[in-house]
Amino acid sequence: MNPPVSPDSDARIERKQEARASATRIKTLAMVGLIAGFVLWAHLGSGIQAFRSEVSSEPGWENFRADYRINHFGEDGQFVRAVQNGYNLVYYTHKYASRFTRKTAGDRPNSCAACHTAEDLAYGFVNSDRLDPKLGRRVSFEDRVRRCYAGPMDGFVPTIYDPVVRDIRLFARAVAHHLQLGEGALRRGD
Amino acid sequence: MSMSTGKLTKIVLIVLGSAGLYLLATHQHGQREAIRQAAVALTPDCAEKLGRYRLARSERYQSPYALQRTGASIAVRGYSEEDVRAIQRGCNIIDDTQGSLAKDPGRERWNATRFIRGTHSSCDHCHQGIGDKQDAGGNRMKGSLNLGASWVMADMYDRFTGLLLPFELRQMQCYINSSNGYKPNIADDVISDVTAYSRFLSAALELKIGNHYEEQGIDEIPASATPKQGDDYVRGEAIYKKKCANCHGPQAFGLETNGRLVAPALAGPNAWNTQSRNYFYYVSTILPGFICRNMPLGQENTLSNQECRDIAFYISNLPRPAGDRNGPMVALQQQILMTVLPPLMRLTKPAGGSEEPAEPVLERDQSRP
Repeated sequence: MNPPVSPDSDARIERKQEARASATRIKTLAMVGLIAGFVLWAHLGSGIQAFRSEVSSEPGWENFRADYRINHFGEDGQFVRAVQNGYNLVYYTHKYASRFTRKTAGDRPNSCAACHTAEDLAYGFVNSDRLDPKLGRRVSFEDRVRRCYAGPMDGFVPTIYDPVVRDIRLFARAVAHHLQLGEGALRRGD
Repeated sequence: MSMSTGKLTKIVLIVLGSAGLYLLATHQHGQREAIRQAAVALTPDCAEKLGRYRLARSERYQSPYALQRTGASIAVRGYSEEDVRAIQRGCNIIDDTQGSLAKDPGRERWNATRFIRGTHSSCDHCHQGIGDKQDAGGNRMKGSLNLGASWVMADMYDRFTGLLLPFELRQMQCYINSSNGYKPNIADDVISDVTAYSRFLSAALELKIGNHYEEQGIDEIPASATPKQGDDYVRGEAIYKKKCANCHGPQAFGLETNGRLVAPALAGPNAWNTQSRNYFYYVSTILPGFICRNMPLGQENTLSNQECRDIAFYISNLPRPAGDRNGPMVALQQQILMTVLPPLMRLTKPAGGSEEPAEPVLERDQSRP
């Protein structure tokens, strides 16, 4: 025979169940809020490039854009964004290629631009895929960029497909177009 | 005791296996290096073209083509022996991808057939004139898929892939779709040598980075460039039989004589697949553009825009391999069609009847050159 259930214990069980349901609701809401907050932060507040299709505009980009007439390729577009990312990589390497360099904001040099001008890269691009007597083999522009990350930038080698390599090539290509360089073009005095 | 012997044997086998693989890789690497250092036997057409453009080891290079046409040319950086050999090998790959003119096709063409299904495909079939087609006066021809002009315009946004398409990836697409084959590695010599040759062409023609030239790509023909009679494969078949079948065969399966390829397949197992940009149902403007500007050989620019679209439509209705992204059912369907249709078509051919159809009645469009 079951012992009689007092009305007090019924009420206690109900209160417990309500408290549990309420806690679950709060947890669910908190999780949804957390996810939504993360998404909003990632897209709007993080500044992390991977979350946004736009490229951050760093100081000097507008001048560069005007000087090298990047608008020839359109005011905006995939190619222009890649060139802009290339600009960021060349002038703010420590910030935009942090995966591939140990250099930080405090280090000098900490960017490609410390050693190369935009025009150096354009001439380097049109003179790439040639024999490097020191290495004894033909070296592409992409290989040179990867060597720069590993060597002078004291970092790691990106894959050949990585945007940190590709966008520097596109940056050099855009400058080479502005300078109207052809294959193997030489600088005055070379 | 026996357990420890067994373990030891396993370890020795693993070490020996790894060492064997390492030695094999080293041997292969050495072989490739030896090929890179070896003199290149040029195909007759490459010998003529590279000789005409005076490709040789030197400190500086000046384009004889530009000098002849404009009276001036700019001295640019010359080429080392290694560079010259890479350019020569690239030219050979474009001219004779399958290595039919090579003594040792595997070695001389970097075994390019690894990446091709079928026995017909060669880069030169689309990139005519070894990627640098010119008329008798030396003028580069509009929409002739010039490789030098493609190089200077590489890396632009590609509407088909949604990528900023590098020159190397574009070559991979050619192997996968136009040759119905497989993707080479980006660092493979079969890719880098063709890039070297294309870059040399852009130097020989004095093309500038990022400029668009008429000879780059295809002079695409949309339906709006026709009198809009509607593309018609019945008309297309009639024109095909009259203008194309002599070389490409009555069923467009290509023509081989004494084991030598006379004209490549436009349909069937040796043709491009349904994922290729040449496939009318995928892109309806490219194959008509290619036909109008490059076919029939020696009579280029003689077909009207509508005729080119009709031929392209007809050709694309013939069975061909499915592309990788079409899935197994389409692949199976195409395989069955490729197997069943040819004998059926031979059976249904009227006995003693003429194969020559009447010339199609077609209003001449204004765009005809």
